[in-house]
Amino acid sequence: MNDAERRFTAIYDSCRQRVWAYACARAGGQIADEVVSETFAIAWRRFGDIPEPPLPWLLGVARNVLRDGHRAEARRAAFTAELAHWTPPPGGDVAEDVTERMAVLRAMAELPDGDREVLILTAWQGLSPREAARVLGCRPAALRVRLHRARRRLTKAVEGSAARSPAPRPGPAGVVRSQVEIVGREMT
Amino acid sequence: MSRDVLRVLTEARPVELDPEIRVDEATRTAELARAMAGTRDAHRERARRVRPVWVLGLAGATAAAALVATVVVPDDPAAPRSPAPVALDARTVLLAAADRTAATPEGTGAYWHSRTIHRNHFPVTEGGRRYTIEVTQATDSWTPARPKGKQWSRTQNLGFRPASAADRAAWQKAGSPTRVKVSVPISPKLKRLKSAVYEAAPGKAHVQASPLVDGDKVYWIGRNVTMKQVRSLPTTPATLRKELLRWYKGHGTESNSPMPRDRWLFEVGGLLVTDLPVTTKTRAAAFRLLADLPGVRSIGKVRDAEGRPGVAVAAIERTPNGVLQRRLVIDPARGAALASETIVLEPAGVNAELPPNSLLGSSTFTTTWTDKPLS
Repeated sequence: MNDAERRFTAIYDSCRQRVWAYACARAGGQIADEVVSETFAIAWRRFGDIPEPPLPWLLGVARNVLRDGHRAEARRAAFTAELAHWTPPPGGDVAEDVTERMAVLRAMAELPDGDREVLILTAWQGLSPREAARVLGCRPAALRVRLHRARRRLTKAVEGSAARSPAPRPGPAGVVRSQVEIVGREMT
Repeated sequence: MSRDVLRVLTEARPVELDPEIRVDEATRTAELARAMAGTRDAHRERARRVRPVWVLGLAGATAAAALVATVVVPDDPAAPRSPAPVALDARTVLLAAADRTAATPEGTGAYWHSRTIHRNHFPVTEGGRRYTIEVTQATDSWTPARPKGKQWSRTQNLGFRPASAADRAAWQKAGSPTRVKVSVPISPKLKRLKSAVYEAAPGKAHVQASPLVDGDKVYWIGRNVTMKQVRSLPTTPATLRKELLRWYKGHGTESNSPMPRDRWLFEVGGLLVTDLPVTTKTRAAAFRLLADLPGVRSIGKVRDAEGRPGVAVAAIERTPNGVLQRRLVIDPARGAALASETIVLEPAGVNAELPPNSLLGSSTFTTTWTDKPLS
């Protein structure tokens, strides 16, 4: 293995699952594998362009791959469909907390694609506004504005859906965890 | 809701999307293998250097599309513009150029100024008429002799014109359009096309100054190199060949398509004699290296696309897009390489609809040391 291959493998190991999680959240598990594969193929081809840290750049590449192949409407459908399979995180001993999380996830599905994207990058990928701005190709200041608006709309959507229908009761924690394994196997 | 919505959202991240999950080994192996099975792309890496070099002018997106040389597509097929070829042995021509080059004093200056005129030929279908246009682009670059300077470039589209008298007639019958759309192959295998629009009128010149990559890298010759490294290339044919071949990976300089070693050396050697600020001793060695390559033959006396007289030497390259003839136009008396030209002898692939022996494109080179950029 030469230097380039070693460095590339290290980048893959540190970022692969994040790229996959981003693609999965954006477009569903079905095509996340494809997007990851294509993203790293591009990354290797453009090896000389990969900056430090590589993650925002990789997510930007994945974003382009997604955008080229999958329309926003299809992405919303994918998110909604995926939602049915996703496993809420364990913990959340208080029933209200769990209910709240479910409500937030459902509200995510109702948001405009652009809002959902900003929220995924910041809340789920844990990117700073500067990093998220790099992924989206905008200025950090513009990102903050987008995040502010997305957050406002998310709050509204959560409140709106809470008003429309009571959230279904989540199953007991044990049941939820056993689902992790089943779903996890399907997805890999 | 009672708590901060972003915080709830963060906590609500489904388990599947946890970035700390490790990918299974089989997927990891397969994905890494698939990624690294591709070749690292010279185009892309070039984006970080200021100026493309491993390019015989027309390479890149439009590369194998279609070029035409004055010699090959005359206005009237019965009356070629250039004189009839005279039998001149390629080796003799190249060795004469080497001797002449070796006897030339080194130039001096703060910048290496290279002016290249690219001419590409594209088939057009418009208003039910088919014709070929010649698109011309001028590129000037000024590369600093010392580190820390800036590399300057000026590019300008010089517009298009019908490639021949017959093409002009068809173009006029199509209503003499001053904007035309052509299809340009983009993928390495050239199966995908994208369209490009060309104007008959010259465009504006774009001037750019960029700091050197890493402060001192000026060219890409299989890797980023400094001016000092370019100037220190070996000065005998054998050592030069050995040094160059370190960067040969079995494929072309601008694509992943396989390229035999000798064809690759012809292309890269051609670059050293046409375009790069190598020392006169290295350039002489490059001419001798070319002279020793098998399969290089003389085409005889020609004029380049700028009308300058020279002798063409050529190598044959078999590609998915046909059998191509790569020509270098040499001025043995000055020890200079004037131009490179590509002709499709047996069209195939994206060139399938062209007549045999069509000129796909040409690049003419004028180089000199100078003290001022943009002069």
